[in-house]
Amino acid sequence: MMEGVVVKLPSFPFLYPTVSPSSPNCRLGFRRFSAPLSAAVKEGSVSLGHSTRPDFPILHQKVNGSNLVYLDNAATSQKPTAVLKALQDYYETYNSNVHRGIHYLSAKATDEYELARKKVAAFINASDSTEIVFTRNATEAINLVAYSWGLSNLRPGNEIILSIAEHHSAIVPWQIVAKITGAILRFVSLDENEVPDVEELRGMISERTKLVVVHHVSNVLGSVLPIEDIVIWAHAVGAKVLVDACQSVPHMVVDVQGLDADFLVASSHKMCGPTGVGFLFGKSNLLLDMPPFLGGGEMISDVFLDHSTYAEPPSRFEAGTPAIGEAIGLGAAIDYLSGIGMQKIHDYEMELANYLYEKLCSVPNIRIYGPKPSDNIHRAALCSFNVENIHPTDLATFLDQQHGVAIRSGHHCAQPLHRHLGVNASARASLHFYNTREDVDEFIRSLDDTVSFFNSFK
Amino acid sequence: MEAFVGIDTNLERSRSDLPFKSIPAATHLFSRWFDSSPLTCALKHQRKMALHSFSSARFCTSKFPICFHLSKPSKFPLFSHRSISFEKIPTKSPPPLRSSSTQLQPMEELPPKLQEIIKLFQSVEEPKAKYEQLMFYGKNLNPLDTQFKTKENKVEGCVSQVWVRAYLDEDKNVFYQADSDSVLTKGLAALLVNGLSGRPAQEILRVPPDFAVLLGLQQSLTPSRNNGFLNMLKLMQRKALELLIEAEKGNGAYGNGQVVTDNSEKPVENSNSDSNVDENSGVRLSSQKSNEDNSSGLGSRGMRIKEKLERELSPIELEVEDVSYQHAGHAGVRGSDGETHFNVRIVSKEFEGKSLVKRHRLIYGLLDEELQTGLHALSLVAKTPSEVEAK
Repeated sequence: MMEGVVVKLPSFPFLYPTVSPSSPNCRLGFRRFSAPLSAAVKEGSVSLGHSTRPDFPILHQKVNGSNLVYLDNAATSQKPTAVLKALQDYYETYNSNVHRGIHYLSAKATDEYELARKKVAAFINASDSTEIVFTRNATEAINLVAYSWGLSNLRPGNEIILSIAEHHSAIVPWQIVAKITGAILRFVSLDENEVPDVEELRGMISERTKLVVVHHVSNVLGSVLPIEDIVIWAHAVGAKVLVDACQSVPHMVVDVQGLDADFLVASSHKMCGPTGVGFLFGKSNLLLDMPPFLGGGEMISDVFLDHSTYAEPPSRFEAGTPAIGEAIGLGAAIDYLSGIGMQKIHDYEMELANYLYEKLCSVPNIRIYGPKPSDNIHRAALCSFNVENIHPTDLATFLDQQHGVAIRSGHHCAQPLHRHLGVNASARASLHFYNTREDVDEFIRSLDDTVSFFNSFK
Repeated sequence: MEAFVGIDTNLERSRSDLPFKSIPAATHLFSRWFDSSPLTCALKHQRKMALHSFSSARFCTSKFPICFHLSKPSKFPLFSHRSISFEKIPTKSPPPLRSSSTQLQPMEELPPKLQEIIKLFQSVEEPKAKYEQLMFYGKNLNPLDTQFKTKENKVEGCVSQVWVRAYLDEDKNVFYQADSDSVLTKGLAALLVNGLSGRPAQEILRVPPDFAVLLGLQQSLTPSRNNGFLNMLKLMQRKALELLIEAEKGNGAYGNGQVVTDNSEKPVENSNSDSNVDENSGVRLSSQKSNEDNSSGLGSRGMRIKEKLERELSPIELEVEDVSYQHAGHAGVRGSDGETHFNVRIVSKEFEGKSLVKRHRLIYGLLDEELQTGLHALSLVAKTPSEVEAK
């Protein structure tokens, strides 16, 4: 299997035959892997974290007197110099408005912008680049689907199924649209592993279901959902599936054709790209039937005083001047990630994920949310947790001030989930491929110190 | 969870158009109030100080657009309808947060206990020791009764939950109580409670948010913490202002027929009813998500109740008190805009010869419309003049 190959080959990062994201071999679902627990240490080799760190200038600084340990990647990722260069290059040498220009700069900008679109399509194995719509971020992409597809397809009594662990951006737009159309939102709860209950979801799908909105990887629980299965069940009743892939696209191979997802959204800034751009993948036949979301230039065909005709997708959904430089930056990020190989990134992060989880378990009175990793259950490289009697904000503040460790505390845009878990807030440490085991060690050491400090005051 | 109760200081949400609408409102509030106040010229001088210090302290800058969502001029019944001229306050453009001490109000003008606290923090170099000091304050903070952990008392913009309660004592000094589920935030709250309690409202209002720099607490300057600490300060200052205005109203300073408070009953002055004061002032102004209600004691329903009872029963004593906050969260209140539960004490000749039941029926009859539109409960004390004299 894939995973055997990964472990056995010497891991000199850029030489070993990474499977490219678009090849058929890496479309295997996450769950078919059994990630070896931390035993898979590559003796004497440089880990991915160490080999990529030099590419990220921001990581090499001191914060409040200590070295920065950046563990807030689920909130946003850092950018490699390749991406920064691409942005600078764009603005310095060929910045120009796209699509309508005749002159050299404009043509170049348009080419690069459309090339970026192709790169995104290839990255997630979409069949055509016209299925990629650039948006401001994943949130806007979801809103696009809600207002464009939702308003024209939902009728009173139609059901939309979500999980209680969804990010606010996957819930709120649907609340708004449901109110307008009379559709009903139904929520799947968590099972005993603290993962959205897939069986319950299956049971909820009926002929009234028109849409299922699910995350691929949870930004709080670290759990992964079996999207292919969910899609099969949904399609059997004629429902569509919108996949929130914000936490999956940056960390593993995602293949929209393999998943057969109808819509998929992700943000550039979580996958080493710049902020200000994200994308929606939508199957061609769906996009073709959808009315515009925002109106303006670029998305029209002809404009008269009393009416206008609209462009074909994806332009139909890209009103106004887009974030050109940023989209090109996203393209550069994809190049960088592909250069390493998403499979490799995924495997490395699996190791780190298990290591993080193990070490966190050693902290007394800690409660980690989400499933316990095992052969069948894989966790993403993030842990949301609470330490008894210590407010997560206190933890995060002290970790930052005294140790330079950056984690997040709050509800992580998942208030319903936190309400279900019975807490106001949680702390969260999330890793990316440029983190190292040493980062985790430092985090745990600092956390122990922090916990002792606060406990000494009780 | 975060319902926004008037203070919208979440940095991510600040909009550039907001502060410029609020600045006139705030200065309007102060200039009007001070102009028509019976207080002496000393206060007028203080006003100039207050306004000036507000501008220099960036109290109403773009980052903190709350000012007070108190007054839209048209709805403020206490002010007369003279044409309003806005005093142009020259506001400097906001200096960067880590500004030099030249921007700050001289320390001598801060409340004395606050000065002590600042000095203490300045003498402690190590950040860890500062945290310990904060936590020490927090540990020794007087507990806040659960009944005061209301929406009106909650500080917005905090990831942790923080509540602040304010009340006046006999000498019109403001006292605070606070609580939080986060130890560090509780420490910050305790710092403010200790530093500001027991001082007159005007002095509290003049404390500039910048003073946090003097503490040398890094965390009070980082954006997320900043929000919390500054929001706390703002809430405390806002409550001080409300109490002050309520106290003024209690003096019968405004001859507006709407507001009838008998001189023998001044709930604001009464030292026994600290909680009374808090209810009246603390609750009303900040109670709801909307800004529509701006009179500093009763909202529109409260005013209507007063009006109707006055008109129909010509009472010699009438006291209407909004205690809706005590019922926040219960079924009768949910979905309403507040103003659901009132205490009414009324002394009128009209009650002569009527049994208690009849008196109550009479009142309920008069307030029927209110009862149909969201008024949930009335707690009534209805007496005749002779009964009151006989006491």
